[in-house]
Amino acid sequence: MHAGPDPTAPPVESAAESRGADGVVDPAFRGALSDAVALYRHMVTLRLVSARMVDLQRSEKIAFHASCLGEEAVIAAATLAARPNDWVFPGVREWGAAIVRGLPIADYMHHAFGTQRDAAKGHSPPDHPPARRHRVAPASGIAGAHVPQAVGAAWAAKIKKDDVATIAIFGEGASSSGDFHNAVNFAGVFKPAVVFVCRNDGRERFASTRERALAYGVASATVDGSDALAVLTVVRAALARAAVGKGATLIEAITHPISAESPALAKVPADAWARGGAELLSLGTDAHADPIARLRRVLEREKLVESGPDEAIAKDVRAAIDAAVADAERAGPPATSTLFDDVYAEVPAHLRAQKESSPWRR
Amino acid sequence: MAQMNLVQAINDALRVEMKRDERVVVMGEDVGRVGGVFRVTAGLWDEFGDDRVIDTPLSEGGILGTAIGMALYGLVPIPEIQFSDFIFPGYDQIVSELAKMRWRSGGEYAANMVIRTPVGGGIRGGLYHSQSPESLFIHVAGLKVVCPSNPHDAKGLLLASIRDPDPVLFFEPKRIYRAARGEVPEGDYTVDLSKAAVVREASPTKGGDRAVTILAWGAMLYEAISAAEQAAEQGIECEIVDLRTLWPLDLETITNSVKKTGRVVVVHEAPKTCGFGAELVALVNEHCFTSLEAPPVRVTGFDTPFPYTLEMDYLPLAHRILPAILETARF
Repeated sequence: MHAGPDPTAPPVESAAESRGADGVVDPAFRGALSDAVALYRHMVTLRLVSARMVDLQRSEKIAFHASCLGEEAVIAAATLAARPNDWVFPGVREWGAAIVRGLPIADYMHHAFGTQRDAAKGHSPPDHPPARRHRVAPASGIAGAHVPQAVGAAWAAKIKKDDVATIAIFGEGASSSGDFHNAVNFAGVFKPAVVFVCRNDGRERFASTRERALAYGVASATVDGSDALAVLTVVRAALARAAVGKGATLIEAITHPISAESPALAKVPADAWARGGAELLSLGTDAHADPIARLRRVLEREKLVESGPDEAIAKDVRAAIDAAVADAERAGPPATSTLFDDVYAEVPAHLRAQKESSPWRR
Repeated sequence: MAQMNLVQAINDALRVEMKRDERVVVMGEDVGRVGGVFRVTAGLWDEFGDDRVIDTPLSEGGILGTAIGMALYGLVPIPEIQFSDFIFPGYDQIVSELAKMRWRSGGEYAANMVIRTPVGGGIRGGLYHSQSPESLFIHVAGLKVVCPSNPHDAKGLLLASIRDPDPVLFFEPKRIYRAARGEVPEGDYTVDLSKAAVVREASPTKGGDRAVTILAWGAMLYEAISAAEQAAEQGIECEIVDLRTLWPLDLETITNSVKKTGRVVVVHEAPKTCGFGAELVALVNEHCFTSLEAPPVRVTGFDTPFPYTLEMDYLPLAHRILPAILETARF
């Protein structure tokens, strides 16, 4: 019944070391090159959406944003690794998963502004976009709460004998939550097809990821989270392992977030956005290359894109963002009555009474 | 019809629904081979196997967190929490996740599941095996809360709960798990989640102008009945409403009764302050104020933790309900 110590010992992948920023692809990751252009486009999208959201929050047009600046490679690559029928369980900072899976930027912005076209009907703050048709679970405001849910969904797929895996993405802070430990423990016992992807920027104190995985009997891998091709490769390997019944993998992706207050971001000219936003795609420091710039060098070296500064993709994405923001700013809030929607499948009598007897502001 | 106790009736309901709907999965600590701490799931593991009757690690947060994921995927999990006192390690998954899933996703997602858990005292369980935390769930928007008092209702309410699209907390009064016996129809039937039951009627001729409505549920229903029988000997008639579904509430049945009697006594095991009785009394005041002949009265557990040795002094048994009935009637 309960798995004791596994005599076959879960494999511990060797840390996937990146070769750095010179555009040379580690032979182990060359298999991911066929997805490199798509991956790059997704990362640019997340970067520009996040940069715009930081501005929107500063100007108080939205109340909240969980920046993913500098961590686009992990979020985009872990999500892109999922097969069409797989499910992604993001935390709040991984809102980009929904966009990578196909949620239009316009829908994301309507949600961020809480408009009458927000799928969540203004019930949730920004960065919790519902995206069921893209098989992305709704993010919780409680760090780590979604991680056991990802285990449960993968477990359900296993019970139903569906070839479906789930990917839970979360920050290293969530990996100290009780929910994380419940999740990995259950995953070790029941071996559902789940992949845990932990963005670790080193801010939280906890015991070694690898030892924690070993303790729960799941496989683990550490990967350079700024190397998109490495993340894609390692997550796909974990999914392949899960698909043949070998159970869960805990992947730790080492990241270097770019703070919204960082000097790199401050050096971007104020009119960069208007000119297309290309300057926003190279915010690296001496210590850490920007993951987007790194992938760009790979694309150029591999002749997957034209050499020279990126204008086309950035301009294209920026135009979509500008249109989405303009549309969301015009849309207006949902009807007051929607406050009472979706508490239950049907509005019960006590809520109907509250809805019908309250004097409304408008 | 078969005679069953509460345990057998709930077991029967689980079996009926697991046969009818292959999405239904039972999970929890020792629910499989052992058949559950109170044997409510006995025999299900033999019949339905490992995939549908799952022994889990001892972690309510893990049980409820993974059950929610199963429900999101499309299964209908029925996690058992061994004692409702143990539910708190998983409380966040219920309050922050389960209750809010439909709302926070604008109706895109829902987690259809039933959390079964024994509730209440009177089994010498002490403070961690006796509590009645129903109001802590009624207060959370998005949850339904059910507490049956007899085998017929237990089976029918559980089948209705499993098929209900919203998450349901199904509290099983453990003091009467085996003591409550009655006829239970075979096979499939449901008891409407939106209807309370009037289990003792105070007719105007019998009750005169001194009738009292008693609102109760679960194990305390029998204490209310016992007190009502004693009150009848003193010429006071009681109308007893078994709430069955605590939330959303069948307010109409309650107000119809209180408008008739003008008097109300609420009985529950949970502590008095902010217990469900507080809400019931507030609703009675809001809806029946001009019909009231006496202030509504609560007979409840005390605002203390649940005691081990003195549990029969803590519980709102008939000897405490009767004086409340008489005082209310004579107000």
